[in-house]
Amino acid sequence: MPDIFINPPEEKKEPETLSPREKHKAPGHIHNPLAAYSYLPDKVNFETREREEKVILLLRQHPITLLPKAALAALMILAPSILSIFPIFSFLPSNFQLITVLGWYLFTTAFVLESFLTWFFNVYILTDERIVDIDFANLIYKEVSDANIDKIQDVTYKMGGAIRTVFNYGDVLIQTASEVPNFEFLAVPKPDEVAKILQDLRIEEEQEKLEGRIR
Amino acid sequence: MESIPLLGISIWTIAKIFASIAFLIYIVFAAVVVRQVQLMTDTLEVGFELALKMLALGHLIFAAIVFLTALIIL
Repeated sequence: MPDIFINPPEEKKEPETLSPREKHKAPGHIHNPLAAYSYLPDKVNFETREREEKVILLLRQHPITLLPKAALAALMILAPSILSIFPIFSFLPSNFQLITVLGWYLFTTAFVLESFLTWFFNVYILTDERIVDIDFANLIYKEVSDANIDKIQDVTYKMGGAIRTVFNYGDVLIQTASEVPNFEFLAVPKPDEVAKILQDLRIEEEQEKLEGRIR
Repeated sequence: MESIPLLGISIWTIAKIFASIAFLIYIVFAAVVVRQVQLMTDTLEVGFELALKMLALGHLIFAAIVFLTALIIL
């Protein structure tokens, strides 16, 4: 029996893309690789990223959270000079004193490096398809969790305390129906904007579902 | 120079051996950091990889220099 009407195959539209000029004008778009809040970052790539997947947002803990460790590091750097006033190592021969100071600076370097790397590589990534949480608890342990945008059930953000209000950072808590039920973006800058972007992504995903544009 | 009775070994010789072993262990740790930075940059790329690798390598070289210095001057 001949077909009376055949529905034309729906064209698979690419997700809306911004031109490079528009992208560079977007608020929150910066080129600093150390930024804690980077909207539409240029060079971000991660292990499990799919070819067409676009990174929308890269987040780290606010740099102010590094302040206690930075203060401790400064004290550790100054410690040999301060301790030289009190001759507590005077019982050691001079060559041992030198090696003790060198060993101390080695230990300080390790502390600074470990603190920086842990901060730098603990990131939260929002793509147009999912949220990714990359955790480096220490130098020899990593955990990567992700959940699809359409699995997000609830987004809560909270900011409390004087320092968090002044520096505009807080926690974003995401409940999902995926294997990892809770994602916690801790101490991230602009949590209200993060929640808004998540909301927009969820609406867009719903729209894609309705239009049958799911990848 | 103080020495341990019976053995007749200087206490500073023993201290030198312990310090050298500690710095040797530290070099192993610094090498693990270099490897770990490599793995981390494979997991996440943000355009800052070269600087991080140089930082980790510099740390390893610093550890090796301190170890050699300890061997020479102690």
